[in-house]
Amino acid sequence: MISIPPSLQPGDTIAIVCPAGYMSLEKAQTCIDTLKDWGYIVRTGKTLGGDSENYFSGTDEQRLKDFQEMLDDDEVKAILCGRGGYGLGRIVDAIDFSKFKKNPKWIIGFSDVTVLHSHILSNYKIATLHAPMAAAFNDGGDSSPFIQSIRTALEGKKTKIQCETHPFNRKGEAVGELVGGNLSLLAHLVGTASDIKTKGKILFLEDIGEYLYNIDRMLWQLDRSGKLDRLAGLIIGGFSENKDTPRPFGKPVYEIIRDLVKKYDYPVCYGFPVSHEKENYALKVGVGYKFRSGKNKVSLEE
Amino acid sequence: MNRKYFLSTVLGIGAALPALTESGVRNGLQHDDLPLIIPPYLRPGDMIGITCPAGFITLAEIQPALQQIEDWGFCARIGDTVGKKDFTFGGTDAERAADLQQMLDDPSLRAILCARGGYGAVHIIDRLDLSGLLRNPKWIIGFSDITVIHSHIHRHLNMASIHSKMCNSFPDDWTKAEPVQVETILSIRKALSGEKMQYAATPHPFNRAGIAEGALVGGNLKTIETLSATASDISTAGKILFVEDTGEYLYSIDRMFWNLERTGKLARLKGLIIGGFKVKPDDPGDEYGRTLYDIVQERVKPYTYPVSFDFPVGHQKNNFALKCGIIHRLEVAADKTTLEESAPYKNPQQGSAAHKIIPAASANPKIIS
Repeated sequence: MISIPPSLQPGDTIAIVCPAGYMSLEKAQTCIDTLKDWGYIVRTGKTLGGDSENYFSGTDEQRLKDFQEMLDDDEVKAILCGRGGYGLGRIVDAIDFSKFKKNPKWIIGFSDVTVLHSHILSNYKIATLHAPMAAAFNDGGDSSPFIQSIRTALEGKKTKIQCETHPFNRKGEAVGELVGGNLSLLAHLVGTASDIKTKGKILFLEDIGEYLYNIDRMLWQLDRSGKLDRLAGLIIGGFSENKDTPRPFGKPVYEIIRDLVKKYDYPVCYGFPVSHEKENYALKVGVGYKFRSGKNKVSLEE
Repeated sequence: MNRKYFLSTVLGIGAALPALTESGVRNGLQHDDLPLIIPPYLRPGDMIGITCPAGFITLAEIQPALQQIEDWGFCARIGDTVGKKDFTFGGTDAERAADLQQMLDDPSLRAILCARGGYGAVHIIDRLDLSGLLRNPKWIIGFSDITVIHSHIHRHLNMASIHSKMCNSFPDDWTKAEPVQVETILSIRKALSGEKMQYAATPHPFNRAGIAEGALVGGNLKTIETLSATASDISTAGKILFVEDTGEYLYSIDRMFWNLERTGKLARLKGLIIGGFKVKPDDPGDEYGRTLYDIVQERVKPYTYPVSFDFPVGHQKNNFALKCGIIHRLEVAADKTTLEESAPYKNPQQGSAAHKIIPAASANPKIIS
């Protein structure tokens, strides 16, 4: 049975930390202000805008310590990862989830944070929030329905997301636990202690900046490791800034996926608003959803 | 290794078992119980098949390789996929699988040279029936994407194979080729002919000294990562692992070494060989701040086995033929690194029937099943 962290109340504290790549405090300012406007107290960790001069927001030890402190602090009701990048895989095995397990709180983020979503769901059966991070609040993003969906989710309101159909969609209805995230990370986690189970579940995938052949290879890995054959449904989000080799791969991403899952019969939708672009609704990983891929509409409802 | 992690690793292997038994051409034995099969070495007049299990190549592009094969006294048979093109692939999945399958089954072939890598072996690997290869062991030759095939036949048959340059690396004009090109291409012939292989690498300040003996396995790091938990997953315990890669960012290389670690592939190694890594430069403002050497050194710190950097294997001119699956001895010292085939083929766990070796010299090896 999945445990769902408690909803947030006005006056609750949200912590912002950077467990992976570096982010300046300045870039997170709109996010901080918005969370305050929503009625929350914001606590920033040392890894947000720290003095690191390299790729990471701090050493492995610093990032681990910052995240661990927020995880163990009863005052903190949710942890928003400032940004992704790369780095969670380096510390995830060292995080002590024993206190978190007793008192779950929302862990929020996407991209590299897929490591946390997968690890927590597989090992502790606790729901997490796959959602935009601090930089997405900038440039007017704070008033977008995507950022607003974080608030809705944290307040404990059930959500229903609708989007347009795509010619490749396979119609049908599915009910199941929602799992997924960034394809590169999900593939990278296959066979590790953070690997996800997908049988009977609704899987969502998104990615950015990958070569087409590599996207194909990662999808084949998911398939060959038995992660695509017994899904309840498949939700394909944005695959932006794809790259190609000098010898063209010959198929766009959605065709790659369509051809690969042809042998299965669960509902599939393409172009769902989960991505590295603005279109990125908050999704509760581990929570049960109803997925409808219809003639005129696609919907995903808690 | 904590207990939870260990259990999940075991479960990971268990999950792949159905696939193993489906193609369970070796009495359903698990990989580590299989005796090593060394295909017969080639003699003058023996036939080598050329096929494209992954990327496409033109007939013109394989001419230098054909010339060499003939000069070496072997014959070449050109597969149907040479000259075929389905976008990046050397023919459709069905065509590539059929071409390779036909060669695997053909008793008159002594070796199969993959014309080039690229991408695509993973599309056909699960379609292959290995029973013909088991009846007629032969050398499979290639690298990069061909790591899929090496890893797959190592796991399912424990059959030796050759990790080396392919048709697209044979110099157009042999007389004008650089010495390293000549030597590396000749190393393929040496390996095929059964000469005992010996390699030397220049010392590197980050090397970790030591001596190791074990089966040599490995290949392209990214490919190895994407085989994790599939029916072609590489098994590394008690072995000497070599890895190489090209065109990857440092952060991605770091992530791949973490993948090796987290899937249990580094903990029980006998030795680690780091080949060439053509690193993709960091994007401005996203400097990773660690070199390849830092990344590897950090990952192997908990262990004590020897580690050798800058070994002559990879997407580079300096890419010597290596016999995968064969027991090698790695010696890393302050002044030099050497790798050589162990002689005689004696397993460290002497007397274990599980490691019976099939003699190489026999033209028609008897299969222990």
